[in-house]
Amino acid sequence: MQFHFQHFLKALLLGLFTLFFANLHITGDISKYVNPKYDFMSKLAAIFFFILLLIQLTRIWQEKHSHHSCSNGCDHDHGNSHWSLKRLIGYSIVAFPIITGFMLPPVTLDSSIAANKGFLLSQGNNEEEGQGTVQESLMEGAESLTEKENIDIYSSDAEDVALPNNNYLSQEEYNKKLQLLNESDTIQLTNDIFSTYYGEINDSPQLYAGKKIKMSGFVFKEEGFTSNQLVISRFLITHCIADASIIGFLSEFDGADTIQEDTWIEIEGVLELGSYGGSKLPLIKVTSLNEIDEPSEPYIYPVLTLLGD
Amino acid sequence: MHARQKRSKNFSTVFLFGVLLLFVIPFLLKSNPMTLPNSFYQLNTIFLSILIEAIPFVLIGVLIAGFIQIFITEDHIRAWIPKNRFLAVLMSCIVGAAFPACECGIVPIVRRLIGKGVPLYAGVGFLLTGPLINPIVILSTYMAFGNDMQMAFLRMGVGFVAAFAIALIVSVLFRSNQLKGAKENHHHHHHHSHARGKKKQPLVPRIGEMFKHSIDEFFDMSKFLIAGAFVAAFLQTYVSTQSLLQLGDSEFQSTFVMMALAFVLSLCSEADAFIGASFRNVFPTTAILAFLVYGPMIDLKNTIMLLSVFKARFVFVLFILITSIVFLFVTLSSLL
Repeated sequence: MQFHFQHFLKALLLGLFTLFFANLHITGDISKYVNPKYDFMSKLAAIFFFILLLIQLTRIWQEKHSHHSCSNGCDHDHGNSHWSLKRLIGYSIVAFPIITGFMLPPVTLDSSIAANKGFLLSQGNNEEEGQGTVQESLMEGAESLTEKENIDIYSSDAEDVALPNNNYLSQEEYNKKLQLLNESDTIQLTNDIFSTYYGEINDSPQLYAGKKIKMSGFVFKEEGFTSNQLVISRFLITHCIADASIIGFLSEFDGADTIQEDTWIEIEGVLELGSYGGSKLPLIKVTSLNEIDEPSEPYIYPVLTLLGD
Repeated sequence: MHARQKRSKNFSTVFLFGVLLLFVIPFLLKSNPMTLPNSFYQLNTIFLSILIEAIPFVLIGVLIAGFIQIFITEDHIRAWIPKNRFLAVLMSCIVGAAFPACECGIVPIVRRLIGKGVPLYAGVGFLLTGPLINPIVILSTYMAFGNDMQMAFLRMGVGFVAAFAIALIVSVLFRSNQLKGAKENHHHHHHHSHARGKKKQPLVPRIGEMFKHSIDEFFDMSKFLIAGAFVAAFLQTYVSTQSLLQLGDSEFQSTFVMMALAFVLSLCSEADAFIGASFRNVFPTTAILAFLVYGPMIDLKNTIMLLSVFKARFVFVLFILITSIVFLFVTLSSLL
């Protein structure tokens, strides 16, 4: 029997990966990285890592010439060979995300990222996905598309209650909310329906001109804004925050220039039909404004409704 | 042998030191958070989010790769793949289309398949259609473009034809399997000698072997995934995509710009439709289609992974092929 340092190292790293993924769910930090709707996949990852860890543990102490069946074309590193600089770098790279993951807290995307992504002001209407239906799971593949009812894989357990903003609406609720948008005088942009309302208003701003609106978001400014302009904005996350796109409404009020970028504010105002960069878009004339703390759910996720209902 | 052992011992010491340092440095930084600029936290968060999104799929990929390694023999492969090159490419594209995978999870699977004797061109066909054409991608494309099937059909149709053409060209250009380290393999004879008895092994140890392969494959693949994710996150944090967008005036330019964007962003193929759709009012349909077809076939993060599997020259040729064929076919499709 011999102690295999590299196998020990692999076990250690697998263990840390298991802890990292489990920890994301225990602390709820997962919602700062990926859309909570897809947290099933990262739970699966934690389980896979744990299984691999158990297997790897058996390899730390083994006979000197480990019995490893390997047919032609097996070209990967079995960790039995000697050290080299290449291997050192390899393990360091694998360790790197675990280290930064445990040491550095996740942050909320801010206006510097928004500036890189580019605000969609110049693009007019762009969000229509809200009315769609998603039921995503790679594990299920094609079958899932036909199994209309089977949506519970993500939302059945109690943990999901701890992650609000899950954005599963039944078709009925969804239609009700849409109707509410058209009928009520005051539009409330709550997280669950944000992307849908945003899309509707952006698509046909003339329909909603004159209505009152209540919303919250962070302040983002583009070059060329006048002193009374800012964008009250949110990040829309489809899957993970790397695919975030910035959405928001151009807002106008005196003293907008005194508010720093990335400040979270809650506003009330009146929607108007405005224009920016040559294209028509909805504009909020702000009537009242409050500075708020960054909410625990800073991101917006597209609405999902049940398929076919 | 003695010298070697000594050297390896020295390396272990150096390595342990390195690991220690790696763990200590962040602690020091944590006690003094001012040393890291805010943008690094942003970068780190994006970096980790890409990994958290991709790792489950990579794990599924390495488990499948482990399964192929242990349970599928070269004889199986020989029996399954048509002798005719044309048919083999067609089959690989169809199998890829039916196989739900993402562009990072599929790399270890393709490597294992080619290692088992699947011809390179068939592997490429599978590699290209796997992430591009599957139910989830179709559904998300359909949704992102306002519940309109047209873009989803175009994406699948053009993507399939392009993948088929690329794999055919690869079959003409390359004879060998282009796997990196294929030569090195001959040095590992001690491994092969054990392989003979494999078939007689009972099921349970073979399952154990499967997992061990998966572990080694994971460590092989993940370092490239991690490096790729870091570069992609770095570019997202420090490079403005807006500056890229200003380059796209004509239809040709905008197609290239969207392809460059798809490459740099390295989005998962299930999520990219929403990003593509958000450019609808800036760029013509052709450019959006190029974004949707090109991204799942090749991007920054998966190029780095491919470089770990294939010879650099082959990856380069494949990159040029994918880029030009996708550009050509997407442009042609707009003329129809």
